Amino acid sequence: MIKLINVSKVYVNGSLKVPVLHDINLEIDDGEFVAIMGPSGSGKSTLMNIIGFLDKPTSGTYELNGTKIDSFHENELAKLRNQHVGFVFQQYFLFPRQSALKNVAAPLVYANVSRRKREQKAKEMLEKVGLEDRVNHLPNELSGGQKQRVAIARALVNDPEIILADEPTGALDTQTGKQIMDLFKRLNTEGKTIIVVTHEAEVAKYAERVIHLRDGKITEERRDTA
Amino acid sequence: MNIVENFKIALSSIWNHKIRSFLTMLGIIIGVCAVIIIVAFGTGAKNQMTEELFSADKNIIELYYEPFPDETGEAVWTEPELTEQDLAEIQQLPGVKVAMGTNYGWGTLTHHDRQIEMDITGVGREYFYGRKITLLEGRYFTKMDIDNVNRVIMIDDFTKEKWFRDEDVVGEIVDIQGNPYKIVGVYESTIPPEYRWSESGEALMPRTTVSLMYFTPEITNMAILGESPETLAETAELAATRLTEIKQLDDGMFTYWSMDEWEAEFESFYNTITLFIGSIAGISLLVGGIGVMNIMLVSVTERTREIGLRKAIGATRMRILVQFLIEAMTLTLLGGLIGILIAYLITFAAGQILPFKPVISPSVVVIGASFSALIGIVFGILPANKASKLHPIDALRYE
Repeated sequence: MIKLINVSKVYVNGSLKVPVLHDINLEIDDGEFVAIMGPSGSGKSTLMNIIGFLDKPTSGTYELNGTKIDSFHENELAKLRNQHVGFVFQQYFLFPRQSALKNVAAPLVYANVSRRKREQKAKEMLEKVGLEDRVNHLPNELSGGQKQRVAIARALVNDPEIILADEPTGALDTQTGKQIMDLFKRLNTEGKTIIVVTHEAEVAKYAERVIHLRDGKITEERRDTA
Repeated sequence: MNIVENFKIALSSIWNHKIRSFLTMLGIIIGVCAVIIIVAFGTGAKNQMTEELFSADKNIIELYYEPFPDETGEAVWTEPELTEQDLAEIQQLPGVKVAMGTNYGWGTLTHHDRQIEMDITGVGREYFYGRKITLLEGRYFTKMDIDNVNRVIMIDDFTKEKWFRDEDVVGEIVDIQGNPYKIVGVYESTIPPEYRWSESGEALMPRTTVSLMYFTPEITNMAILGESPETLAETAELAATRLTEIKQLDDGMFTYWSMDEWEAEFESFYNTITLFIGSIAGISLLVGGIGVMNIMLVSVTERTREIGLRKAIGATRMRILVQFLIEAMTLTLLGGLIGILIAYLITFAAGQILPFKPVISPSVVVIGASFSALIGIVFGILPANKASKLHPIDALRYE
């Protein structure tokens, strides 16, 4: 479970202070499917970075599964990123010279998993996203949708409880985007917490809870009970 | 991350930029190659010279007289005359296998219409044994030759071949400085042909004969063949002290002149020169290292996003640091190995042409390889540190 209490973020650029997030209070339970929406500059990416341990809040408290992580060292944050979240980016961010299998297995390298187990696990994940016949393909031999599936498989490989997706369909056509969102939906029903940052209402529809962000503040929350 | 995984990443990154990697390595390749070739040539030349200069008489040490300076600081050279009795005394000392006494003469040898400048060593019979003189024709000097002051002479094979070719010389009467001598034998020269710089011929004569004809003492030089090289210096010390005692010297003393010392000096001189030239070549390694650093810095910038991604999926600072260090090290190590290979080929080819054999010792290869790896680590630290310090968000956002 993720709990943000009075989280603020101020970027300091020389003598200029740019506030990005103001007193955010947010709780996301295990197994939720949450969309974070907002125009560009609303601070949604910053919020995602903080949720994903890529950035630290300037003030406020972040609790993960009941543990305050505010004072965590850089190395401990790296471990959290490795074990507890899986990232999916708009531009996929795959290693261009490595096969799909290697790309998927990469987080396991940093989890000190043996080579054989890495490959076995990565294969399983590729099967899960329907790419069992693309195991040894390089990213440039894959379509956009396939690349994003590889990225999702990579996000899943270390079995994290949270999947963080930043505009996951932003570079895809509508049809492929739908397939990707269906995949997220399936993962959600399997128990993963899914947090999607997007500005597309179409994408947000998949979420049971939508958080609107404007000028660094949560302005609206909608919860689908369905 | 385990080392093997890092190595693979490093190798693929090097392979993906073949030309750039090669050009970067070139500095290291040339540096390592130059250092190894220079050391190989230096070692080869030194070994060759050491063997030729010192191998024959490893166990022989010469004694000589050294006068003390007087009140004015000047040394007056009045050398004590050595005799057969002194030689016999020294022969008695422990550790002395053979005590050899020699004196020297010279002159023009005339035979029919040929004239040869000769260097003559006056010897006793112990000289043949002590210096391992091999007889090729005729005979050695007999005890009678020595005792009776016979006018007999032995010439070395070099002199014989140069001036007499295939003539029969044993038994021939030759004239030296107006006196007739009979050639009784030809012996194998103890001087290697490459070091035969003097144009003179070499000959042996009984030292009694030299003494009579040249008005010198029978023994002007004394040398000792020791029983073992380990105790040679000790034995020489003993002999020099004994000789000083016998001659009751108070304005000088006998001391010894050790080939060992000379050899050590010679070797250290050679090593110093090799080291000096090698260090100059080593500068190119430094330059190569700077090239590696430069390219690694470029590489870090180019791969900002990769670094950001690695951090996002859980890489710690340390892991990124190690990855880039290993990459730099792999680059230079590879360069070093190529350099060693080229150096080996060049020295092998040169060894076929040169009069001496260049030597690449295993230790030089190991040092060369580890040193090039070390260069990678040293010059990789700055870029690797830069990479490891990148903030994941900034790195991911980097276009």
